[in-house]
Amino acid sequence: MIAVGLDVGSLSTKAVVMGDDGILSSTVVLSSDSAEASAKAALEQALAKTSGDGDIYVVSTGAGGKAVSFSRQNKAITTCLARGVHYLLPEARTAIDMGAESITVVRINERGRVSDYGNQDKCAAGTGIFLQQMAKLLRLSMEEMSAASARARARAEITGTCAVFAESEVISHIHRDPPTPVEDIVAGIYSSMVHRIMVQLQRVGMKKELAVTGGVAANSGLVSILAEQIGYSVLIPPTPELAGAIGAALIAKENMMQGAS
Amino acid sequence: MTTTAKTPDRIDAILRACRLMLRMNKARPDARKSEVLYYEMLIDYCTQLATAKQQGRFIAAHTVFFPSEVLYAMDIVPMHTETTSWMTALFLGQYADLLAAGAEQGLSSEICSPHRGLAGALSIGALPRPDAVLWSNMVCDNTAKCGELLMKITGSPGFFLDRPFQRSEAEVRYFVEELRDMITFLEVQSGLKMDWDKLSQTVRHMDEQIDLFREINRLREAVPSPFHPQGFLELVTVDYLFPGRPKATEYLRTLRDEMAAAVAEHRGAVPKERYRLMTLFMPPMYLIGFLEKLSREYGAVSTTEPFFCNWGEGRLDPAKPLESVARKSYMLPESHMFGPMGEKAIGEIVDSARRHRVDGAVYYADVGCRHTCAVIKLFKDALSEIDVPVLTVDCDVVDPTITSEGEVREKLERFFELLDDRR
Repeated sequence: MIAVGLDVGSLSTKAVVMGDDGILSSTVVLSSDSAEASAKAALEQALAKTSGDGDIYVVSTGAGGKAVSFSRQNKAITTCLARGVHYLLPEARTAIDMGAESITVVRINERGRVSDYGNQDKCAAGTGIFLQQMAKLLRLSMEEMSAASARARARAEITGTCAVFAESEVISHIHRDPPTPVEDIVAGIYSSMVHRIMVQLQRVGMKKELAVTGGVAANSGLVSILAEQIGYSVLIPPTPELAGAIGAALIAKENMMQGAS
Repeated sequence: MTTTAKTPDRIDAILRACRLMLRMNKARPDARKSEVLYYEMLIDYCTQLATAKQQGRFIAAHTVFFPSEVLYAMDIVPMHTETTSWMTALFLGQYADLLAAGAEQGLSSEICSPHRGLAGALSIGALPRPDAVLWSNMVCDNTAKCGELLMKITGSPGFFLDRPFQRSEAEVRYFVEELRDMITFLEVQSGLKMDWDKLSQTVRHMDEQIDLFREINRLREAVPSPFHPQGFLELVTVDYLFPGRPKATEYLRTLRDEMAAAVAEHRGAVPKERYRLMTLFMPPMYLIGFLEKLSREYGAVSTTEPFFCNWGEGRLDPAKPLESVARKSYMLPESHMFGPMGEKAIGEIVDSARRHRVDGAVYYADVGCRHTCAVIKLFKDALSEIDVPVLTVDCDVVDPTITSEGEVREKLERFFELLDDRR
């Protein structure tokens, strides 16, 4: 049997194939309109990279996880993140997952189980989609944004409470006379996102060590402002976007070992 | 005043819904006798309100936690504003027009929705026009501020009952004098006289009721829980609408006996109890049917609700009825939970979680209820110390535009998963 974890997100779908000795393969595909089709594409690509055969035991998670018909079990992203982060960084007791449409904070116990969690899913402010929108507005790539924020001398004031208002504020900074330097605008955008993250962190309660996962974790500029805000450095796993899928694969493996159908 | 559209009388509609529920209950072989009594009481309450005008009776609209024992003793017809308001959502699922009418009264969406809906309902004639408006500062600032607007909308005279925030003997004496002033006001307005013997009888019943509530709460500590998952709403309604009413005493005695029998037989309210929950504050009324179904599906039972029906220490003395009414206001569950939030109140939450052996707590954070949202962190931290996780569901008690059924289902299912994962 092959254990597979599928994290079906709103922007991307991640698949992880887990063997006895750890991760055998993984893949990330863009999510389509159909969660089922995205999951299937990710699964096929991930399996193509491995030589294993036999029955496949799939555990799904994420926003579209419930819609995957071939999944044996659907688990909450919080449960999967806790397992995945514990596997990648056993010392982490808090994880912040910065996904495309939500920010999820999970407190993790020493067994890799969820102690508490909270998520912000009512507004796009502070999420990956918001960051994409800002990048488009500033005509910068994610990497260019990160580099720009490192050069910032100040942080433009940008409201963190509403994505639509934040966009208007960025436009107003661009058209000011003189215009606000783009570096300061980027730093201001990151700062407003960090503000949203801090609200969640404070609500759930932060415990050292703190790991950052999700696609947005790859943004070094944002992560450095977050670390500055919390007062210590954060841990980032080598493949931050895969943490949820890894957790799902670990659960699939556990289920297989316990003989679950 | 907005009277542009013909608005059906909500009391009449609630009355019809309650009659239907009663018929359905009587037809069910396994129906609780207490449930039948419950619907009979609601029907009596609504019938009195619906017929008061024709019978020339005096209606007093009063806010939540108001000492309506005084009204019953004066033969005044009470109209509990917040409960009447949320019964509209609970039984009829119709609230949007009332909230829209409330908005026309200048009440923005950030304000407590039962108050918004209530002002709207009175402005469009969906509730009977009261002959007097009575309100107090016994619970929250919004309640304390709502009276003047209701007076303006209805054109009725009003009385603000000032209950001191802190409790001391001097403050109890002050409150007794406030109650006397209110009785004088009501006597002048209604032409009715206070029947002190009747008040004494009412206090005697109330004292027994408080004891029965305590007994019922103790029975709910049993595993499996003998009361149905969202049953506490029935208790809250009885507590709010029928203080000191003989039939409420009968209801509570009956329910106590039913629960005692279930506990003796180890009979749970759900087929397979899996999660014992603490409910903090009020779930959305328009989702109660759904929550009951979901609770049964997952074996999740609310076994304790520290904000409601969780009476503080003390007894009432029928020989000193007015003083007892004053003292009762400080024993109110909501009063010691919503009042000054000291170590004692926090300690009660923790004790309750322990006694009821809860696996987790669900905090229904009503977006318009500032004071309950302000204490989420305090409760969460206190419960976290005894390893009880808290799920916070942002919602509104009657406004369905804040949270959908699907969203609540998703959050609760995820929370149950967390509880499983911790085992």
